Amino acid sequence: MRFTGILGGALLVSAAALGAASAQEGEVTIVLGEELDLIDPCMATRSNIGRVVLQNISETLTELDVRGDAGVTPRLATSWEQTDDTTWRFDLREGVKFSDGSAFDAGDVVHSFERTQSGENTCEISRYYDGMGIEMTAVDDTTLEVTSEDPQPIMPLLMSLLTVVPSETGMEFTRDPIGTGPYTLAEWNPGQNIRLERRDDYWGEAPEVTAAEYVFRSDAAVRAAMVETGEADIAPSISALEATSDTLDKSYPNSETVYLRIDHEVAPMDDERVRRALNLAIDREAFIGTILADGTEVATAIVPPTTIGWNADVEQWPYDPEQAQTLLDEAAADGVPVDTEISLIGRTGNFPGATETYEAIAGMLNDAGFNVALQMVEVAEHEQYYSKPYVQDRPILVGAQHDNSRGDPVFSMFWKYDSEGRQSGIADERVDQLIDDASAATGDERTALWSELFAYLHDEVVADALLFHMVGFARVAEDIDYTPTIATNSQLQLAEIGLN
Amino acid sequence: MSDITAPAPAAPNPAPPAKSSILRMLWADKFATVAVVFLGLVLLCAIFGPLLLGDAAGGQNLRARNAPPFSLERGWLYILGGDALGRPLLPRIVVAAQNTIAIAAGAVAASFVIGAALGLIAGYSRRIWSEVIMRLADVIMSFPSLLLAVIVLYVLAPSVLNLVLVLAITRIPIYLRTTRAEVLEVRERMFVQAAQVLGASTFRIVFRHILPVILPTLLTIATLDFAFVMLAESALSFLGIGIQPPEITWGLMVSQGRQYLTSAWWLAFWPGLAIILTTMSLNLLSSWMRIALDPTQRWRLELGGRVNG
Amino acid sequence: MGSAQALPVNVEGAETPVMHKAVGKRAISSLLSLFGLVILVFFLSRLTGDPAALFLPVDASEAMRQNFRELHGLNDPVHIQFVHYLGDLVRGDFGDSLRKARPALDVVLEAFVWTLQLAVITMTLVTVAAIVVGSITAFRVGSAFDRFASMLSLVGASAPDFWIAIVAIVLFSVNLGWVPTSGTGTVWHWVLPISVLFIRPFGLILQVVRGSMLSALGSAYVKTARAKGVKNRPIIFVHTLRNAMLPVITVIGDQAAALLNGAVVVETIFGFPGVGKLMIDSILQRDFNVILAAIMVTALAIFLMNLLIDLAYALLDPRIRT
Repeated sequence: MRFTGILGGALLVSAAALGAASAQEGEVTIVLGEELDLIDPCMATRSNIGRVVLQNISETLTELDVRGDAGVTPRLATSWEQTDDTTWRFDLREGVKFSDGSAFDAGDVVHSFERTQSGENTCEISRYYDGMGIEMTAVDDTTLEVTSEDPQPIMPLLMSLLTVVPSETGMEFTRDPIGTGPYTLAEWNPGQNIRLERRDDYWGEAPEVTAAEYVFRSDAAVRAAMVETGEADIAPSISALEATSDTLDKSYPNSETVYLRIDHEVAPMDDERVRRALNLAIDREAFIGTILADGTEVATAIVPPTTIGWNADVEQWPYDPEQAQTLLDEAAADGVPVDTEISLIGRTGNFPGATETYEAIAGMLNDAGFNVALQMVEVAEHEQYYSKPYVQDRPILVGAQHDNSRGDPVFSMFWKYDSEGRQSGIADERVDQLIDDASAATGDERTALWSELFAYLHDEVVADALLFHMVGFARVAEDIDYTPTIATNSQLQLAEIGLN
Repeated sequence: MSDITAPAPAAPNPAPPAKSSILRMLWADKFATVAVVFLGLVLLCAIFGPLLLGDAAGGQNLRARNAPPFSLERGWLYILGGDALGRPLLPRIVVAAQNTIAIAAGAVAASFVIGAALGLIAGYSRRIWSEVIMRLADVIMSFPSLLLAVIVLYVLAPSVLNLVLVLAITRIPIYLRTTRAEVLEVRERMFVQAAQVLGASTFRIVFRHILPVILPTLLTIATLDFAFVMLAESALSFLGIGIQPPEITWGLMVSQGRQYLTSAWWLAFWPGLAIILTTMSLNLLSSWMRIALDPTQRWRLELGGRVNG
Repeated sequence: MGSAQALPVNVEGAETPVMHKAVGKRAISSLLSLFGLVILVFFLSRLTGDPAALFLPVDASEAMRQNFRELHGLNDPVHIQFVHYLGDLVRGDFGDSLRKARPALDVVLEAFVWTLQLAVITMTLVTVAAIVVGSITAFRVGSAFDRFASMLSLVGASAPDFWIAIVAIVLFSVNLGWVPTSGTGTVWHWVLPISVLFIRPFGLILQVVRGSMLSALGSAYVKTARAKGVKNRPIIFVHTLRNAMLPVITVIGDQAAALLNGAVVVETIFGFPGVGKLMIDSILQRDFNVILAAIMVTALAIFLMNLLIDLAYALLDPRIRT
């Protein structure tokens, strides 16, 4: 057994090593809440994997600027243009090498894309290209042509999700990711740590951080304590409760939106008045600064305000329990079964304070005349309620959190509102049409269509009960210069970390 | 034998101490006395708490969120402070006593009855049944209790009753194995052999002669197990697969309060204290019972002299 | 959580094994139980939802889910899946982890090494401490030390361990800065997890040591020795201890078995990569193969440990060594 070896080794390490996180010059330790099951680049859109892999090990053709408002910016592609309705041409960067020494060319991108589409693995990036009929061709080493069945005006943005691997990479999941990024995977001890080290032959500017050690602790209080004691330098996600230090803790909108999904097919939720009453009965402002952190915003759309088309004119629901009661009474007079017990499904640990939030919502709804029973469930059970086919033996409100940090509503709207969307509670022709039109539109027209859709969903369909745009808290050690962004949930570029 | 559902009360073989002498023996152990009084109080809370304070425990008031303890500003209900939703902690602890005690008592009672019954069968019947039952006990014992909890709560629903089911199943082997081991030993004793020779029925031998002898041991275990089950329930809540709000138990209150440990310690402290005091009382009671119910040790208490915990 | 909390009365003294035959018999019956367990876990765990829905994001298409199930053989009827599983098992293949895309056995063994270390170190410390303190309390019944030790061990054993763990981190790591909060790496990282794990078995074993030492001290043979004027305390001590050890070993065994199953709560809080943490993660993520492999590995470990305990019995009590 490794037993004696490990123990002996541990004993040799003296007390001097205690709390020496940044022992080596230029190294940082980052403590994350969730371990990585896989480290394959084609899974980088899963947030816990993306935080380690994305733009650190593996790079993409383009990148969304989340610190400024430059929109989509070049990464492995230097420029791009739409050559006709359904074709885009990307010029690729020259002189780029993978960490295994092989040169990067258009063929690698084609292979990377085909790999995500392969039936031999379960790469999740492929979901973003689902049903688009995308074909990629390497015109020459540095020119890539991408075609799609329908016009895809956001093709450059879509390319910010495709991580590039060398064309030698097999179809099955790899545990040794090779990328063009500034770091390589140096060590991976499952359950303990992952270590990335800086490459010397990176095409771009060499980042300041020479190596990063990732460790994993599921308890938020422990993560916060680790930065305090110097065992870690950055804890990208701690709970608001722990975020008590002005110097160390930084809040950031974390691109998550919490809402209650309503299935419009089941009475009494099929009645618009009941849905309005539901929205009026929740005192959203009361949560902010109490159960939820200061900085949390009341939501009027399922995507955060930095997303294009987000409609500032949509007014948030006021808190008006009397009006809610009146609406319920009206509905009851028309024979709507408003007394039916409604299940409110929440997921334990979905976000800090989740249980308290749902308890408070259930309390408010019951005060306003609803008959709500709270049911907190674990992740697998939550999925049963959240996705189709729905449980329809009783009216159900599903509390859920949706993440869109990608700047465009297209990554949310079909799934959440189209009549065929897997988590959609509605079937509305105009909504379907607007989603189709907006997805195909460009520029101001696209923005306008999305805006129209948001207003329509919120004010006329009363599709759901939108609650909050959440904020996250990062704790960053004093000698580290790092500002979290709206994308910190899904990526954490080591190159953006400065050392003081 | 399969119709055995509960160990019937029977005249125990070694003469039982009279009631008054039980009280005297209890008084002889001051720790045990305090423990019994405390447990009585908890029981009263469990029975009458929800009736008296149910409304107060549920009322949310975000302004009294995390209200600090030892302040009468908001009335005596807030003497122990308020929780994250501004609900007063004192009535919540009193009300939660019901679920907490119901879950522990239900699980202990169920595993006791089933385990003891199976143990009696295994100990007193033919080899083949004994083997089957013991292997069953092994299977249950190595079945991960967390997995069992997830399965039961997923397939059925997360309710108090189903949680009792989970905990009861995991505890059955303790009673089963103890009962069987004791039966194997007791049935070789003189008085049992004598009864067999005199032609007493199996049923009679088991219930009139064997059960009374092993009952004290089982009761001692049950008392300890009660404490164990309470802790197990709180651990399940901590891992997020136990009882869920709006139901409350002390364990759930501790696990919900743990994130406030550095900012509002009282959220987790009071219910934690309730658990500690109750399990401690049960442990003390169990130690006392171990002596009081053991004829060879009873003198220690009857002398009223030096007391052994 | 976990398995048995034993009492001195739990000794299965009635089964006095003849060593060799007993080992064989035990191996067979344990194997039978294990087989029953595997069947039960295999079928029951598959009632608890679709791993594809958990592996893939909520907005993945049905085709992607289908592909995931296809790749992992989850599309076949459950009994066919079971036959395949058994077939692989016979060839020593425990299947791949659904989440980690690598052999489930590797995943489990990696974690088990940690748990084994934790269990061995903790149980060694607990055993030594409980026997020393327990003996002293038994020799000095009713003394201040006796009361203090009993009370303290009782309080410790009565508190929820996650509560103790978090308080310990706040106190000893954050406020005092004596030890690291969590994780692995240096010997100091082991201090908190072991201390927290130490508390409950220590209280329990202490009580058993004390109780059975008292009985042994009261036994005819020690009394005779004393009456004969054997003033040599060490000799009395050794003889008493030897007699008192049998029930103690049983409790130690049960506590060690509980630790070998993984200390879920402690591992979770301290970010300790043991089998308990692996188990709860795999259960919540429905990683069936890992769950099954973990059960089999820990079952084997516990079986081996029980053999050791039988051996200890035989060494301590010549009557058993027939």
